[in-house]
Amino acid sequence: MSGHHISSAKFLWGVGIVLLVLTFITVAVTWIEIPSPWNVVVAIAIAVVKAAVVAMFFMNLWWDTKFNILLLVMSIIFFMILVGITLLDTLYRTDPIPSF
Amino acid sequence: MATSETSNIKRLQVRRFKPEENPKSTYLTEETGIWAWMTTVDHKKIGLMYLASILFFFFVGGTLALLLRTELLTPAQSFITADTYNQIFTLHGAIMVFFFLVPSVPAALGNFVLPLQLGCKDVAFPRVNLLSYYIYVIGAVFTLIAIFTGGVDTGWTFYTPYSATTGGNVMMMTLGVFILGFSSILTGVNFIVTIHRLRSPGQTWNKISLFLWSLYATSIIQILATPVLAITLLLLTMERALHIGIFDPALGGDPVLYQHFFWFYSHPAVYIMIVPGFGIVSEIISTFSRKHIFGYWAIALSSLAIAFIGFLVWGHHMFTAGQSSLANMVFSFLTFLVGIPTGIKIFNWVATMYKGSIDMKTPMLYIMAFLFLFMIGGFTGIMLGSLAVDIHLHDTYYVVAHFHYVMMGGMVMAFLGGLHYWWPKMFGKMYNEFWARIACVVIFIGFNLTFLPQFVMGSMGMPRRYFNYLEQFQGYHQASTYGSYILGIGFLIIAAYLLHSLLRGKKAPPNPWGSRAMEWQTSSPPSLHNYEHTPVVINGPYDYHKPMSEFQLGIEGSHNGHGEHQHTETKTVEADK
Amino acid sequence: MAQTSANVKKGDHVQHHFVDSDQQFESAKMGMWIFLVTEILFFGGLFLAYIVFRSWYPELYLMASDHLDTFWGAVNTVVLIGSSLTVAMAIRSAQLNQQKGLIINLAITIALACIFMVIKYFEYTHKFDLGIYPGAYYAYDGIAHDKANIFFSIYYMMTGLHGIHVLIGIGLMIWLIVRARKGHFHSEYYTPVEITGLYWHLVDIIWIFLFPLLYLID
Ligand code: HEM
Ligand SMILES: [Cu+2]
Repeated sequence: MSGHHISSAKFLWGVGIVLLVLTFITVAVTWIEIPSPWNVVVAIAIAVVKAAVVAMFFMNLWWDTKFNILLLVMSIIFFMILVGITLLDTLYRTDPIPSF
Repeated sequence: MATSETSNIKRLQVRRFKPEENPKSTYLTEETGIWAWMTTVDHKKIGLMYLASILFFFFVGGTLALLLRTELLTPAQSFITADTYNQIFTLHGAIMVFFFLVPSVPAALGNFVLPLQLGCKDVAFPRVNLLSYYIYVIGAVFTLIAIFTGGVDTGWTFYTPYSATTGGNVMMMTLGVFILGFSSILTGVNFIVTIHRLRSPGQTWNKISLFLWSLYATSIIQILATPVLAITLLLLTMERALHIGIFDPALGGDPVLYQHFFWFYSHPAVYIMIVPGFGIVSEIISTFSRKHIFGYWAIALSSLAIAFIGFLVWGHHMFTAGQSSLANMVFSFLTFLVGIPTGIKIFNWVATMYKGSIDMKTPMLYIMAFLFLFMIGGFTGIMLGSLAVDIHLHDTYYVVAHFHYVMMGGMVMAFLGGLHYWWPKMFGKMYNEFWARIACVVIFIGFNLTFLPQFVMGSMGMPRRYFNYLEQFQGYHQASTYGSYILGIGFLIIAAYLLHSLLRGKKAPPNPWGSRAMEWQTSSPPSLHNYEHTPVVINGPYDYHKPMSEFQLGIEGSHNGHGEHQHTETKTVEADK
Repeated sequence: MAQTSANVKKGDHVQHHFVDSDQQFESAKMGMWIFLVTEILFFGGLFLAYIVFRSWYPELYLMASDHLDTFWGAVNTVVLIGSSLTVAMAIRSAQLNQQKGLIINLAITIALACIFMVIKYFEYTHKFDLGIYPGAYYAYDGIAHDKANIFFSIYYMMTGLHGIHVLIGIGLMIWLIVRARKGHFHSEYYTPVEITGLYWHLVDIIWIFLFPLLYLID
């Protein structure tokens, strides 16, 4: 019976604590001033790890069918397509419209 | 997935179930009455309800189009003022796109046919299916309110900043379309899950019909693109309600960003509007050529490829909008790629007909029209995708002609083909073949007369969305207007003989076309639960070299959960599921 | 997939078009995942607006995020993570036939969700007091940047839409409690709990991204 994975209470609490620790870290890194592009990278990286932990162990993707994992991956890919190609425009306009 | 399917071979006792010729009880004779219909969760009835609604909107949109064309008979204003003209073309576009074309094949025909082709009793979430219909109705009501409380004159694309500042009731309209989006999403969710989970025993991915593959690809586009439309329209609504300014240059926003948002949905959406049509073409061509489809996997996978590439090209609508030249070049290049999977499809369809025994019944006739018209539409699309050419042609009648060739010449022809193809299954009645062919020819002639001149005047510089024009274009406009009247007559003929068929039509046999596809292996019209047995699939839907008896197998003694049956000769098959 | 385990009997909860309980459960879950895909792209549009404007005006984001309270943002993050944990525990309870645990965990989740909304309410009203409204109504001159209104439009859209999702989640959870009290859920059938849980975790995930992107720009 795929999908009927039952996590132990200890395990779930463990996941919760990991998430709290990561939350603390993501706040803490703003205290040490990381230079400009890297602070964003670090913040996003930690957020991605947190999201992945939630998806895998709270939403049980770890034990789920491949198709459901594929769905999540697909949504991320298409979001990146949306952002990536739009940036090809907005980053390279010779005369960005907003500063008319 | 593949491994667990092959490692899971089960032996099933099956026997032949011949579809009943004169079914006593069908889905139309059971659970009747207004209330039963309105609360039904039966996919067939919901499909018919969708069908009635979209035909209603097709009629409204068509009438509006005839008004527009009549105004354009003369260069000067004749009977519609400029503002009214703007409102009418906006409504025509929005209604035809959002209320007719997007739900036409998936929600109406697809709802009816999909579970029949899978051999299951219903879609995975029947109540969600009904919900999606009511969401559609609510969206329609919002739109009607918008029409009667000021109207909308932005064009179906709702470009900012105009849409954020113009009068009328744009908010109602965008909310209506926003709501409609959810109906489309729910249908997509339902179809994907149904195709994944509710296939019959033995029906592996290479034994589902190409119509299902096309619906699958369409549903994927629906779930990936429609939410972006939703957020776009929500932002636009907020723009009008709260002046949030994200798209408003006066407040520091960027109107071109709106176009990115909009076309990220709407280019994929044009594939929502055509890919299901591709599915119908595959079904009909194979059935009426009595031949195995050529290149099953090529056709199936090219649908998915189109779905994917369709997400990479939206910027070809923005070549003149102030987009960076880098983006322009990338989008122009990517646009050409769309031609590849589309070409693959056309090639395979023609190859299917090669040496087949072709029977030019009405559905096939429509598909011939489709092939011809869609080719023109597709090629002119590629022309428009060429950056330099588009600078000249953008916002002219050339674009209008292009998308009418693909949307009307492509999808509407496929829809009509599908409607005629599945009509006997839906209602258990035949229509008048003679008049059906006449109507098809009339429509074909009317269509070309309407839209071919538009290519010419477009390339000569006639801009779109104007209610008057220079005298030099009058000849073309008049031809176009007369063509549209012929088109109108064609549709009236269809309405007449289909009504006649409903009331007085000859009874249809279960399988009037001798098709091997699964939906024909049950009675016409089907019973409330589609099949009286649990169907078992051992052949693909296009295996015309196999005897009909192999397509009518069901699990011995299963009764599909209903009633009792006589046992006759049985045999054992191995079904991998 | 589609492994049909013969030993699962067709119970009351199985709708007539499914073969067995498992098929129904897996279908519902897949349906929910597909719906979550649409949610991700729905919010994705807002993230796109965020990214585009941030790439144009990085200094604006630096200045404006100073006016968001990191402390309360962090508290809300902790609150939502806690609620994700309790939802997961609720599902566990349902799987183990623990009626009481299920209801208690759902109730705690609702409580946490309400705390989240209350904190959000105070954050919003504080900004309104300063005159920080979205777009055209923006009337605060503490930020020396002429596009400050755009940042806050994006802020309000993102957090507002997220807040609406939290409210919907609260509604769903109340509905689950009502059904749980009637004893509708047990180890063989807890599909609504499972898919509401998936929804709730996604709402959490979105906040996990909103928090650093809006509050933590140093
Ligand atoms: C072979 C594939 C296709 C290509 C390369 C293509 C290309 C294009 C291009 C470049 C434009 C923009 C023209 C302009 O505004 O200057 C356009 C417009 C349009 N196309 Fe296509 N197209 C294709 C197929 C389709 C299909 C299948 C549909 C619908 C079923 C469609 C519907 C439309 C619509 C509605 C517009 C006009 C949108 C508007 O501005 O109102 N196209 N196409
Ligand atoms: Cu396009």
